Amino acid sequence: MTALRAHDDAPAQPTEAAPAAGWFAGRSGLVVPLILAAFSTYLLVGVLTMEVPEGTDWPGPDFFPLLVAIAGYIVSALLVVKYIRQPEPAVPNVYSELDDVSAAERAEAEAAAKVRYRFFSDWRCLAWAIGGFAAFALILMPAGWIVAAALLFWCVARAMDSRRPLWDVVVALTVSSVAYLAFDVLLGMNLPSGILGGL
Amino acid sequence: MESLSLLAEGFGHAFTPMNLLFVLVGCLLGTAVGVMPGLGSSMAVALLLPMTFALDPSAAFIMFAGVYFGGLFGDSTMAILLNTPGQSSAIASTFEGHKMARSGRAPQALATAAIGAFIGGMVSCMVVVFLAPALAEFSTAFGPAEYFALALFAFIATSSVVSGSALKGLTALLIGLGLSTIGIDSVTGTERASFGVPQLFDGVSLVTVTVAILALGEVFHIASRVRRDPTSRLLRPKGRPFLSKAEFREAMPAWLRGTAIGLPFGVIPVGGADVPTFMAYGAEKTLDKRRKTPKFGTGAIRGLAAPEAAGNATTGTAMGALLALGLPVSATAAIMLAAFRQYGMQPGPLLFERSPELVWGLLASFFLAMIVLLILNLPFAQVWSKLLLIPRPYLYGGIAVMCGLGVFATSSSAFELFLLLGAGLLGFVMRRYDVPLAPLLIGMVLGPLAETSLRDALISSGGEPGVFFEGPISLTIYGLLVAAIALVVVGRVRSARRSPAPVAEAPAPQADVHA
Repeated sequence: MTALRAHDDAPAQPTEAAPAAGWFAGRSGLVVPLILAAFSTYLLVGVLTMEVPEGTDWPGPDFFPLLVAIAGYIVSALLVVKYIRQPEPAVPNVYSELDDVSAAERAEAEAAAKVRYRFFSDWRCLAWAIGGFAAFALILMPAGWIVAAALLFWCVARAMDSRRPLWDVVVALTVSSVAYLAFDVLLGMNLPSGILGGL
Repeated sequence: MESLSLLAEGFGHAFTPMNLLFVLVGCLLGTAVGVMPGLGSSMAVALLLPMTFALDPSAAFIMFAGVYFGGLFGDSTMAILLNTPGQSSAIASTFEGHKMARSGRAPQALATAAIGAFIGGMVSCMVVVFLAPALAEFSTAFGPAEYFALALFAFIATSSVVSGSALKGLTALLIGLGLSTIGIDSVTGTERASFGVPQLFDGVSLVTVTVAILALGEVFHIASRVRRDPTSRLLRPKGRPFLSKAEFREAMPAWLRGTAIGLPFGVIPVGGADVPTFMAYGAEKTLDKRRKTPKFGTGAIRGLAAPEAAGNATTGTAMGALLALGLPVSATAAIMLAAFRQYGMQPGPLLFERSPELVWGLLASFFLAMIVLLILNLPFAQVWSKLLLIPRPYLYGGIAVMCGLGVFATSSSAFELFLLLGAGLLGFVMRRYDVPLAPLLIGMVLGPLAETSLRDALISSGGEPGVFFEGPISLTIYGLLVAAIALVVVGRVRSARRSPAPVAEAPAPQADVHA
């Protein structure tokens, strides 16, 4: 997570044109074959540890996952070769000539597209969104729906570059309470009431 | 005319005040999600799927029909007004549609799209009513080998033929297929790759993965761009819908031609509605060149009318294929199939015998949804665009809360929420590196069908692989597959030669899911 330090307030001050460094520029897509290979390994381990009952006709329950795992290894190898031979640098989006936007907006987008960042993705905002969801999943049971959902809403709003944290708390609590009333009280779904349950 | 009397009965089921309300609510919600830039109809269905489980099956599916068609309509509204197609099937509409909007004819463009969608949808629903029972009958001739051929066709078509990079399409497909194998094996009862985690015994939930990949992944994707890329922010539309008689006459033949092109594609699993929309657009463009004053490039009404009609015609017949064959040809249809399974029903020939009131009620509600949409959208397209006034942080905050709510409501387990988060991260990575999303969902839905038919066919033939190439039906399907691949390869080579990048005019669609 060095990304967090590298460009804290990136949009305000284009970092000293630090281009995505070195060999991995345009090759970070290697993470895709990596995920596929890891998943194939998971399936393969599943196949190897599978306890197939005696006397099962071929092809048994391990046949199809094995097929998928082998195909997964082949495709990830091909993808690795592809990324090594022709890197795919990320291209920031700008308005095309068809977009109905003002000249100022167009210029802004083009200027923004020229700014080089150490990472193409904004990991700081992303961390707010991902962390918010992880926190939601963790505290939903103990703290209850209203608190957890409000926290999730607030974190995602923050990730979307909201500038009014206090006002956001009000909106977040309103949204989570309305959702609780609508789905738990009216529609009869079972949402955890948590620490507010006794009130 | 047995179909007609059954359909009349279906209308009887659908026409209760409560069900009409569900169609209306479904249309409203579907359109509301569909008009959000980057959120398409499959996102609408995915987000609202868990909500419908609180209803009884027929009400749930009636609402679904509304959500689905509403979402499609919302897609094209935004494609026209903002040039932000919610899914790939709306891309063809942006070319001439957005030009119309930019030249101050946004209202006419919206009306053209609404009427085109209405005509395409109506005609294809009629076709489904008469054809679906026959199709269901025909599919009883299908054995394991035939079903395997069909599944293989869908896999190859969605992962390689339709998507830009075959390798990336296959990556998504294989992950989907792999996910579908996790859990207790249905034939032998063997525990597979669940490593003793009880929540995995029933397999990885398709609802969770769908919501994660389509909705949560999009939230993460926007978060990763929002401070750096002004084009990820929302724009505001202007205009009022109205169509003159001359324009109506101009668009009419295009609507009909588009419908004719779109109809057959719903039954052929080549990855959804984007292929026929591009074909319809291409056909109109070719015809336009022969006219005295070619209008394409300046906002030609026909260039919008044809793909809109084609898209909805395909959608209609795709529903027929789903009901009669149990074969989802698009991500949205895959989600619908998951909904059927949630109620313990298996679409296919038996569904017509076991729950006819549900099937015909659903078909009737397609018609209702179409009419409700036309009424809603001709005057209200304008109002929809007001949704864009919700500040972005609250819009996406609300979507994230909906994801959590939907998945927790169906499972009541925190484990499922972590699965949602993990799959959401996968969805983000796939968006970041342009890996198509639809093959993953199709692989997950059709994986079990492909696996059981593969195993059944091999077991009954004693391990002899020749069994896959015996029947005339399988051979026809393989023939079609080869033809489809050849057609696409030739088409791509040709269009690459003629103009370097015709599709590149459109912005990269934010949700690369095939409607």
